[in-house]
Amino acid sequence: MAAIRTENLTKNFRQIRAVQGLDLTVDTGEVFGYLGPNGAGKTTTIRLLLDFLRPTAGTATVLGGAPADPAVRRRIGFLPADLSVDPRYTTRDLLDFYGALRGGHDPAWVDALLQRFDLDPNRRFGELSTGNRRKLGLIQAFAHRPELLLLDEPTSGLDPLLQAEFARLIREMTSFGATIFLSSHVLPEVEELAGRVGILRQGELIKVATVEDLRAEARARLELRLAEPALEGVFDGVPGVVEARTEGSTIHLVVEGSMDPVIKRAATLPVVRLITHEADLEEVFLSYYAGDGNAR
Amino acid sequence: MIVATRLIRDRLRGLLWWSVGMIGLVLLTVAFYPAVKDQGQALNDLLNTLPDAFKSAIGYDARIPLTSPPGYLNARLFAILAPVLALIFAIGVGAQAIGGLEEADRMEPLLANPITRKRLAVERYAATVALLVGLIAVLAAASVVLSAPFGALEGVSIAGLVGACAAVGCLAMFHGSIAFAVGAATGRRGPAIGAATVVAVAGYLIQSLQPLTDLLDPFRFVNPWHWYLQRNMLVDGVPPEAVLGPLGVSAVLLAVGVAIFRRRDLR
Repeated sequence: MAAIRTENLTKNFRQIRAVQGLDLTVDTGEVFGYLGPNGAGKTTTIRLLLDFLRPTAGTATVLGGAPADPAVRRRIGFLPADLSVDPRYTTRDLLDFYGALRGGHDPAWVDALLQRFDLDPNRRFGELSTGNRRKLGLIQAFAHRPELLLLDEPTSGLDPLLQAEFARLIREMTSFGATIFLSSHVLPEVEELAGRVGILRQGELIKVATVEDLRAEARARLELRLAEPALEGVFDGVPGVVEARTEGSTIHLVVEGSMDPVIKRAATLPVVRLITHEADLEEVFLSYYAGDGNAR
Repeated sequence: MIVATRLIRDRLRGLLWWSVGMIGLVLLTVAFYPAVKDQGQALNDLLNTLPDAFKSAIGYDARIPLTSPPGYLNARLFAILAPVLALIFAIGVGAQAIGGLEEADRMEPLLANPITRKRLAVERYAATVALLVGLIAVLAAASVVLSAPFGALEGVSIAGLVGACAAVGCLAMFHGSIAFAVGAATGRRGPAIGAATVVAVAGYLIQSLQPLTDLLDPFRFVNPWHWYLQRNMLVDGVPPEAVLGPLGVSAVLLAVGVAIFRRRDLR
């Protein structure tokens, strides 16, 4: 059974079409990266999945039920993009309050989370730094060991150490079978965690792919250093070569897709050094943002 | 009642300060009673020369001298100051219950928990009423306890005094419910406070202009200030509409506010 299934999910705010005809399926147990620039409709989607907004058209099914059903929301953990609570609440107050509403937290698990994220439960929300508020947001989202986590920009504001802790926690949760839905406006934040990503632009889901497929789409940059001055046009007609530029005895190549034909051709040349640059996933991603992604 | 008890705890400190203010108001009022009583007839004569609108505004009643305890307490405490204080409190808490919470972006984290919107709204309304009851209980206790030492309780029935305090509470609940309902419908605090304040001021003006013109008479019977101010409750008892009217209207406002809140998008 899918953890999240939307059919033609649409939300308009007066003239603004925030989410249009969204058909999205997130399987139980997967980590799904929900990507798009600011204003693409990521937060609107999450708010629809939690019944904060009512769809203009279409339906959303979460954990097999309706988002409005409290029994469904009991099994969901939600991290808002910017958590706001009464500034007088301490972390402990908030966790106790939410715990009571959820029918009780496991105190050992909550204490472990507080330790992992190094958050003092006795400080008031109003005194917490942005980073600490972020930590509290994560802890309250994970505190009841939800089956589905809806995380809106989870890693923004976390330092690298905490990002690593966050990644460990996500892996731990998925090992228990939890489903993670995380939004971000940059790919690297979700690339390491997500199995699949969906790319949203102006309210429309324009691409759903595994991270591997995106990588395959990525253009690799290659540098061949030869023992002799390179000839122009030696890579002409080789499949996958998007760009070939010669500079003295060096050939710069941009390759899309399989590297095999390029290597075969390179084998005919006196190669001294072969320098490859990491497949640039971000570039693929940005091309979808910019709108030329549809052409592929 | 987890949501309600949490809200009451959040507001307890505020209620404490409001209680101190209420006690201070009662204390200041009754402490001046001996001095007023000594002025006796002179003050009554002076008051009789004032315009009717003013007399009604301060709760003047020809049968009950202003220098008598019920006349004095009614004019000084129950005609304006105590209800205004209670109204400000109730409107503030009522506007915060949903409108203020939502405007501060604190609604969504709370509603991500397994509670329905209806439960959240009803519990926060219940907490609002409970806080108001707390403040009214302080007003009643202070009135009864502090009046006696200054001789301001002679000729005043305890039941009448407590009843008048209850009527203050009902009047405040009426306006607090407007703030609640508008906040629930709009998700904003400003319109909630604004609407309740406009209704309160308009009602008070209509009631105070009543001796001067009968143009506004059609509004009188739906005016909570008329229900509340029509007679000296310390002598004549609480008119049923001063309690039942606000309770009935509040129930309707609660139902409408919750119904809209359940159906709309959060802000």
